[in-house]
Amino acid sequence: MRPRRLGGRRAAGLALGLLFALLAWSAGAANGERSQRGDLIVALQGKISPLQLPRHGPAPVHLRLEGGLLTADGDLLPRVDRVEIGFPAKGVISTRGLPTCTVQRLRNATSEGALAACRPALIGHGSVEADVLLPDQGAFRIHARLLVFNGPRKQGHRLLLLHGYAPKLPTTVVLPFRLQRQRGRFGITIGADLPAALGPWPHLARFTLDLGRHYSFQGRTQSFISATCPIPPIFTEGFFSLARITYTLVGGREVRQAITRRCRGD
Amino acid sequence: MKIGTQSTRWAVALALALALGGAAVAVAEEEPTRDEYVDQLEAICKPDALATQRVMKGARSDIQHERLKVAAGKFAKANSIFGSTVKEISAVTRPPADRERLKTWFGYLKRQESYLTKITAKLRAEEAIAAQRLTARFIHNGNLANNVVLPFGFEYCSFKFSRFG
Repeated sequence: MRPRRLGGRRAAGLALGLLFALLAWSAGAANGERSQRGDLIVALQGKISPLQLPRHGPAPVHLRLEGGLLTADGDLLPRVDRVEIGFPAKGVISTRGLPTCTVQRLRNATSEGALAACRPALIGHGSVEADVLLPDQGAFRIHARLLVFNGPRKQGHRLLLLHGYAPKLPTTVVLPFRLQRQRGRFGITIGADLPAALGPWPHLARFTLDLGRHYSFQGRTQSFISATCPIPPIFTEGFFSLARITYTLVGGREVRQAITRRCRGD
Repeated sequence: MKIGTQSTRWAVALALALALGGAAVAVAEEEPTRDEYVDQLEAICKPDALATQRVMKGARSDIQHERLKVAAGKFAKANSIFGSTVKEISAVTRPPADRERLKTWFGYLKRQESYLTKITAKLRAEEAIAAQRLTARFIHNGNLANNVVLPFGFEYCSFKFSRFG
């Protein structure tokens, strides 16, 4: 994937980084669950809505995640090579009948342009911040708007296309996240490698991501994400692992954080 | 006599100084750094955390199928492990700079133990809603405990609800 170089080569590389670095919170990381490895703090919080769900059979939900990385001593954040978010295996993600978009249609588009081209395939939105440190310059933070679109299948896996646009450093990046199933508590994952094309400058800081889409297909209402609260009648609430984020840092080290949330049985 | 007395006083003072100095050195040697402390605690917590995961296996399914007394038995075992872990790590000498923080943490751990005891009792009595409410507090309290010792970077000594089924 090659960025559009609107603001010069360096600017493009930077903005790229921001966009997909998917994460890291600074002061806002006080909420949600946190863990620390060395000086690096990983934070994640999130929720599904509605909280009240059927005990049998999935119902449409929206998912909101906020997360990030920060350093305990205020040092520069490490660079992230890969981001993966896991969801409970019992959740349902469906793209049946949902229009798709392609990387090519998004590649050079602003957020508005991306929506104009692919709104029917929209499944989420959010934001990302990254710290940028240029040689011989002070660090500064870049903000980018995120849009998530249903993408094509590749090698048997559905792609979710994350489109990022940083208006102050006008650059667009499109990052394909692979949706796949695996064994374990977090049986549904979306993950993407952050391309080397992003350059060495951007250091992911924080992100927000809202996922969810209700749409109609063959006369029936469909939902991109559905969930159930499978608790017996004697309980009114249940507890479950909502999400886990894993960052692979430059050098191969992994840091992760999972969050537990509750649901109410309908 | 006077000279002798003075010599004795000097000798006593010297001996005291040496003894105190030696004691100070001994104390300094016994007080671990934060990293050493974390290593000691993790060595204790790791086998217990893994044992907790083993005894809690299937508890989620038990609860989903309303086998509350079976789940209670698993919580009781987990509580027993947790209690002995807390007792064991409580005895480890704490880094002086972290004593206040650790005192707060151990306060949360004691509360965790209390919640586990109560959850076990409520499940055994098949009081589902009471057990559910206590579980919510247990999770919240566990997260608060984790936040207190965030800079320690605990893996096995930190609270993870996923270990409980």
